[in-house]
Amino acid sequence: MRMRFTYSAFLVVGAFSYALAQSVVPKNPFGHGPEVVAEGHAIFNQTCTTCHGMDGSEGERAPALVGERRFFRLSENALYDTIKHGIPGTGMPALNLPDESIWKIVVFIRAMRSSASEVDVPGDVAHGKQVFSGKGGCVKCHMINGEGGTIGPDLSNIGAQITLKRMKEALTVDGPIPTGYQPVKVVTLKGTTIEGVAKNQDNFSIQLLDNQNHLHLLDRAELKSVEESKISLMPHNYDKVLSREEYNDLLAMLAKQATVNLHKKVEGDGEVGR
Amino acid sequence: MRIRALAFLLILSSSLFAQVTEQQLLQPPGKDWLTYNGSYNSQRNSELDQIKPSNIHSLVAQWAFHVNSGAPMQSVPIAVNGVLYFTQPNALYAIDGRSGRLIWDHHHPLVKVKDREGPQRGAAVYKDRVYYLTTDDYLIALNATTGSVVYEVKIAETTEGYSAPPAPFIAKGKVIVGVAPGDRGLNGWLEAYDADTGKKLWHWDAIPKPGEPGNETWAGDSWKHAGAATWMSGSYDPELNLYYLGLGNPSPDFNGDVRMGDNLYSECMVAIDLDTGKLKWYFQFTPHDMMDWDGSEVPVLVDAVYEGKMRKLLVQADRNGFYYVLDREMGKFLHGVPFVTQLNWASGLTAEGRPIRVPGIEPSLTGTKVCPSSIGAANWMSPAYNRDTNLFYVVALEGCGLATKNTETFRPGGFQYRAGGDVLLHNADWKVYVRALDLITGKLVWEQERVGNMGLGGGLLSTKTGLIFSGELNGQFVALDAKSGKTLWHFNTGEGINAQPMTYMVDGKQYVAIATNTTVFSFALLDHEKGAAK
Ligand code: HEC
Ligand code: HEC
Repeated sequence: MRMRFTYSAFLVVGAFSYALAQSVVPKNPFGHGPEVVAEGHAIFNQTCTTCHGMDGSEGERAPALVGERRFFRLSENALYDTIKHGIPGTGMPALNLPDESIWKIVVFIRAMRSSASEVDVPGDVAHGKQVFSGKGGCVKCHMINGEGGTIGPDLSNIGAQITLKRMKEALTVDGPIPTGYQPVKVVTLKGTTIEGVAKNQDNFSIQLLDNQNHLHLLDRAELKSVEESKISLMPHNYDKVLSREEYNDLLAMLAKQATVNLHKKVEGDGEVGR
Repeated sequence: MRIRALAFLLILSSSLFAQVTEQQLLQPPGKDWLTYNGSYNSQRNSELDQIKPSNIHSLVAQWAFHVNSGAPMQSVPIAVNGVLYFTQPNALYAIDGRSGRLIWDHHHPLVKVKDREGPQRGAAVYKDRVYYLTTDDYLIALNATTGSVVYEVKIAETTEGYSAPPAPFIAKGKVIVGVAPGDRGLNGWLEAYDADTGKKLWHWDAIPKPGEPGNETWAGDSWKHAGAATWMSGSYDPELNLYYLGLGNPSPDFNGDVRMGDNLYSECMVAIDLDTGKLKWYFQFTPHDMMDWDGSEVPVLVDAVYEGKMRKLLVQADRNGFYYVLDREMGKFLHGVPFVTQLNWASGLTAEGRPIRVPGIEPSLTGTKVCPSSIGAANWMSPAYNRDTNLFYVVALEGCGLATKNTETFRPGGFQYRAGGDVLLHNADWKVYVRALDLITGKLVWEQERVGNMGLGGGLLSTKTGLIFSGELNGQFVALDAKSGKTLWHFNTGEGINAQPMTYMVDGKQYVAIATNTTVFSFALLDHEKGAAK
């Protein structure tokens, strides 16, 4: 309970200083359209890449602005403030840029950090659905709103959960296999072979979901062998097997899958999130 | 109401997941534990016979699964093919019943209503889905292997003061749900939903409206803020197709002056036709109650010989201090006796089962000693029945309260509407027991005091081998001899217990599990021979 108390005390203080500062809080004059994002992108690549990497990636002297860091600034004002005034005590300087440029960069950074459902992803959503259940074969492994396979993650809320960048990577780039989706093949002492993904495991047990949607509660002492595949069941070549149009429409459709906007909820006007 | 269905055309390989069938739900609890009280008759008497009085000394903890944060757990794990499903308020966990390892969990974010943080008593299973209710009144259906949401249906308006603590009850593909608004001056009801689609099938109001029979038992407009909550999971007789549930207290709890009359169907046992949602019969335990004695204690269904004739009985140890034997076909009262000694409000029951009140023993402006207290002689902790001993086992509280009433009026928006309360008289006589009653006569056969406990704690589990498992509020998990009440085994979980034990079997090994406030523990025999038991 102590934690909670401190936290709310902190909020109260925060609210006061916010109220004081409110009269001078600057406002983004440009909105969030794709053109603004593009302009901000260009200015960023010209101005900031002596330290940060191109397109917001990691640079020689500064961290990536996109990526999996635990805390980062989300609200427009926090980003504006960082670029305008720098981060005292760190290598991030105050940058002497016109306000207009700052705001465009802010919009660009926000777009990189926003979940896919918050950015404009052009494409034919209805056709994307067809690709999902047809040519893409996604529905065999993924469920959306209660319909579909169970071996892959439920995608009902995927638009709100990950960024567009991450979404593209999920479809096209091999990456580490997330917990709960490690493909395994086990052979029991009795000689039965079971294949599927390990929902969980430790030194003594494996909770295995097989390809027929059956859970196996396995004790390692009863297993002859356990083989872990290095390759995820998730195919990562959709940019190649799908046409450009099919791929884009699929992305547009996935970006729309947002049942609970968890991202928005934690963000609020807060400075750190996700 | 929020139901999502997709227009996608699906070509799926047929699922081989072992589904929970209607047929399985009709069985007594064995390998699986499929409902809140283990089976439709709520006897909580397991068929498993591996753990018995002769070997219980070697019962040892197998694993513990800890849940962070949240209200103290009141959930009974459901077991299907070795997977345990249990709830915390607004969360459901699926864990491996052998190892206690997490398979998946589902968290329901409270978006708006922060103050509805009531308890949650468990999940229900049917086919390849798991169902539970949330404090902000959603019925959620999840895929049993992954926890994917199949549908979410809003069943009540949370901002008005409703929350939904019971484990859903499923029979014949219908999910029966109830709500807990009874201390907030809102009226209770029951609803049935189609398990497959989430479509509402029927609605039954626990308080009759003007023109309906029973409305005349409420003076003036008092029926409008009348209570009779439906906050527990009931019992079901498949032959009679009747669903039995005990209803909650009338509102306001402690001041009866503003609601003269019997106040139907508050504190009634009701028998509802499962298909139509129509009331078949009712029996009221405490007409015009003024002590918050919800009649929500678990109805246990037993077929037994009564006065020379085989009868379908329903027995209940009520919060008001009386043990009742009813005929569950027509709701006829057969027999009733007190199961606590500290009972001063009634001198007995009439031939129809109506309490004979002692004048003046009711809440007053200055305070009156009423026994039992408002906590009751019994409460929602599950009782158990064992056919071999023919005993009914119940957690009983001996104790009184100093009860007062006031003239508080109803306020909309989910505020408490109790108009009084009682000071619990925690003196030397305040004691908690596990009591074994003769099924038919209600006579005390043995009792075991839960020494050092001030509250009721958790309920009971019976096994056909003659064991009674009992979870105490002070954290002791105990096994008693069903015949004598002698303590045979105990384990200090180190934390309060407010839930009911259950038992299940995986791969030839029997486990007994119970939720403490934050942790599920599971026990099995140390020297169990796997091969031999199969
Ligand atoms: C001189 C090197 C340098 C330049 C030029 C620079 N940065 Fe930084 N920036 C840093 C460093 C170092 C940090 C990390 C500070 C820390 O340790 O928190 C940082 C941090 C940030 C952060 C906060 C990180 C977060 O996750 O919220 C933002 C936003 C940012 N920079 C934006 C910019 C933008 C936009 C520009 C160009 C207009 C820019 N920076 C130019 C060095 C630089
Ligand atoms: C053979 C089964 C299979 C098929 C087919 C499949 N996926 Fe996957 N997918 C998985 C698995 C398993 C994972 C999780 C493991 C991983 O990310 O490597 C996953 C992960 C993902 C993720 C990342 C989810 C997250 O939370 O980060 C996305 C997005 C995704 N899939 C989309 C798709 C789409 C779109 C298609 C069809 C074009 C598709 N998948 C086809 C099995 C499959």
